[in-house]
Amino acid sequence: MLGFLIGEALRDLHRAGRVAVAAILLTTLSLAALGGFWLVSTNVGQAAEQWRDRVRITVFLKQEPSAAETDELVDRVQAMPGVAAVRYVSKSEALGTLKEVLGKDASVAEQLPTNPLPASLEVMLNEQGATPEGARGLITRLSELPETDEVSGGMDWVDRLARGRRLLDVIGLGIGAVLAVAAILTVTTATTLVLHLRRQELEIMRLVGAPELVVRLPLLLQGMLQGLLGAVMAIWLLIAVYALAGPHLEPLVNQTLGLERLTFLKPHTVVGLMLAGTMLGGFGGWLARGRTAP
Amino acid sequence: MIELHRVWKVFSVGPVKVPALSDISFRVAKGECVTLHGASGAGKTTLLRLLYREELPTEGDIEVLGCDVPALRVREVAALRRSIGVVFQDAKLLPGRTVYENVAFVLRVLGTPRREITPRVFDALRRVGLSARAQAYPAQLSQGEAQRAALARAIARKPLLLLADEPTGSLDESMAGEVIDIIKDIWARGTTVLFATHQARLAAALHQRTLHLLSGRLVKDEG
Repeated sequence: MLGFLIGEALRDLHRAGRVAVAAILLTTLSLAALGGFWLVSTNVGQAAEQWRDRVRITVFLKQEPSAAETDELVDRVQAMPGVAAVRYVSKSEALGTLKEVLGKDASVAEQLPTNPLPASLEVMLNEQGATPEGARGLITRLSELPETDEVSGGMDWVDRLARGRRLLDVIGLGIGAVLAVAAILTVTTATTLVLHLRRQELEIMRLVGAPELVVRLPLLLQGMLQGLLGAVMAIWLLIAVYALAGPHLEPLVNQTLGLERLTFLKPHTVVGLMLAGTMLGGFGGWLARGRTAP
Repeated sequence: MIELHRVWKVFSVGPVKVPALSDISFRVAKGECVTLHGASGAGKTTLLRLLYREELPTEGDIEVLGCDVPALRVREVAALRRSIGVVFQDAKLLPGRTVYENVAFVLRVLGTPRREITPRVFDALRRVGLSARAQAYPAQLSQGEAQRAALARAIARKPLLLLADEPTGSLDESMAGEVIDIIKDIWARGTTVLFATHQARLAAALHQRTLHLLSGRLVKDEG
């Protein structure tokens, strides 16, 4: 019986002709758009993760503490949530670093009557602190320390990258959703067309007492087949674009985002896209089911 | 097998009520062959449609194969129809399928095991004399052959009851005679038959009980 139902679904797909092809192409477009944005978003997300590990918060101190005070201050900051490590930078170390940076112009720094650079703490973040909310909370706590003069650094641009990623996700979902609705409507139209072509068969099926499942399942299967074909084509399209454009884009991505290699969608995402296509087509077929009523 | 008690069917055309059947009562026993005779518009088709629950009566009781037909739910209607074969004046063959496929189609949708389909299709085609035309498409058949193919489709399912709605209505005398012979054969093998026709000569040809309908009323039950 299942073989018969699948055979009928394939026969219906063939009968729907150009409308079925249009439905498959629209499904391909909607899932390719969704998958494409997903692909970009995944890589931007990876860059954000990579840069988040390198984020530092610098706490400039009002005055240079004594050795005992330094140990006690470092311990207090180390105990704060979101902190992975703390390094104390004395005034003289800061001046030494400045001289290193100035290189052959280091003598300028030696002309200064006193060392103007403040002592500071370099705070490295752990996973909890490397989130926008975690970093904001930590900066607030560090600002409230009596020894603190100013806090700089943080997650600003990592936040912007994360926001950009979220924006990409929303745009991708939006475009994907609009195309998905179009695909569903086209699958419904293709299925309705088949219903019209099959009206004599449906009448005979009802007259002989065929179970409702036998009447309606081929319509659902037809929609699911269209969706699955669209999803497979979308994945092939993404693979082709990735293989052709990836090598050309990698140097640019390396310079701007610091990513060595672009990565393709993970296997579970590919399976998810195929399931989404199948369900999308099935939904279109299911929408047309009401039109089988006698 | 079939029992109707004070059945009315009234169609509403806007505010106007048009009675198609008025106070119909009769019984058909298992194994009977009954002709339903009446002019066009007498209510024959409406009566048959009530029996396979394509229509609901406005009033009255209908029992077919032990089922209270008006009270059936959708799933039960399908179950009832599996025991009833219906043939129409226009044969209703599927144009994109061969004669063989038309007959096999109903067996397949009813879940008949694959190995049983071919022997049952050819047995049905042999009984109606169409074995040699199994691969022909409906457009390649004469009206008489198309009607015989429709009968083959109905009997391949081995129905307990055959409802034939003017199957000879568009056939010439010789073709109509062939169809009548096939219906007699089906009845002789134990299937209860209700045969609707407007042709008095054909009603007489079956030499069985005849119910006469006139303007929706059962006016005579003879034989």
